[in-house]
Amino acid sequence: MSPVALVTGASSGIGAAVATALDGYDVVALDLNEPAPFGVDVSDAVAVTDAIRLSPGPIDVVVSAAGHYESIPIADITVEQLNRMLRVHLGGLRNVVRAVLPSMIERRTGAIVAVTSELAVGGGDADAHYAAAKGAIIGFVRSLSAEVAEYGIRINAVAPGPTDTPLLAADSPWRAAEYLKTLPARRLARPAEVAAAVRYLVEAQFCTGEVLSPNSGAVI
Amino acid sequence: MHSGRIALVTGATQGIGAAIAARLASEGAIVGVNGPVRDARMDVVVTAVDGFPAVADVSDPDAVAAMVGEIERTRGPVDILVCNAAYMTMAPLIEHDDDDWWKIIDTNLAGTVYLIQAVLAGMRDRGGGNIVIMSSEWGVIGWPNATAYSASKAGLIALTKSVGRELAPEGITVNAIAPGVIDTPQLQVDADDAGTSLEQMHEQYRRSIPLGRIGKPEEIAAAVSLLARADMGAFVGQTIQINGGATRCRT
Repeated sequence: MSPVALVTGASSGIGAAVATALDGYDVVALDLNEPAPFGVDVSDAVAVTDAIRLSPGPIDVVVSAAGHYESIPIADITVEQLNRMLRVHLGGLRNVVRAVLPSMIERRTGAIVAVTSELAVGGGDADAHYAAAKGAIIGFVRSLSAEVAEYGIRINAVAPGPTDTPLLAADSPWRAAEYLKTLPARRLARPAEVAAAVRYLVEAQFCTGEVLSPNSGAVI
Repeated sequence: MHSGRIALVTGATQGIGAAIAARLASEGAIVGVNGPVRDARMDVVVTAVDGFPAVADVSDPDAVAAMVGEIERTRGPVDILVCNAAYMTMAPLIEHDDDDWWKIIDTNLAGTVYLIQAVLAGMRDRGGGNIVIMSSEWGVIGWPNATAYSASKAGLIALTKSVGRELAPEGITVNAIAPGVIDTPQLQVDADDAGTSLEQMHEQYRRSIPLGRIGKPEEIAAAVSLLARADMGAFVGQTIQINGGATRCRT
């Protein structure tokens, strides 16, 4: 039987590229846009747990890629927008990890990769709530890596720069020529590059608590 | 993955360098195995990876230029440069012999600059290339009695960031790896400094690492393989730390 990998946000963008890159794995794809029973909102811990029960086997690998992006000046961020951001990004990671960790601890193996963002490291204009949620993921990853290392479980993060996915609207300032000119690589990151970094971390048996950032040189 | 690409791996006759040579060769690269002298150890690695010998003391800029020149004449420009050669001794700062202290800097830090300078024109001719620099956990967190080594390895992180920015527009990626404690012959230096046996040194490190073991050279080679890929241009000036969870630091 193939090892099982759970991927959230697997229907599009980076999550979809990760699902493709994990050949050799039996991928359980969670996404708001998946059909039932895997069409779950990762901020809903009960729904996540219920979906994971339907996995074909114990989960060896978790990749948390579900997320959304919105740019809002700090004064205009509503309580709802802030809570949604925190509960999807940080909460989504926490929910899937909470659901799979007991089994990983019991089997003394497991690899978790969280998709965060270059904005978590460098910050951005009108990105306060997104950066807060993505930065929280890094704190969570580094802390949990120390907590579960003794069980042979590793948790790492990938912090991509602006990536050519549907999350970036056609009129996004990050697609504008003036912005791309400022990047040392002069282009957006590609989903396949981010997915290759995820796959590397899934297999990197001596790497834990680390953040890889394919960001075209936006943050060095 | 690296099919037909020419790779130059410095310090490739043992330890991490030999593992990198083997990994890149297994993925199709034609690997130049560098060491300061042509000896039996070099020939063993050259044969094992079906590569070619590339002799130069990396702290000697003329020797580096001559080595790269010969590779270019006989095989073509270098596509993948892995700056792995390193020299290390340990001593308290005020007791560390001046010449030996500077030999560490000149080999690890200046040597890497010479190598990048030597391959650059060829990479520009090719329209791209991939450079991977071996830093160290001690370049991130420092270490007592290793001032020169830590300084050289921290300098490599900053060099990676700067040259990474400078060359990315030309399709040349520059990234680094900061390994933690890896099972290589270099650990004997640590053991000698601590006045203990190699076995006891392994055990002491093992206890201090969250994952409960020291690393293997092949685990560093896997990261080199990722950063040496021609289709990973979004990696610019980054340092990947592979240390079993020992630091969790931002580089």
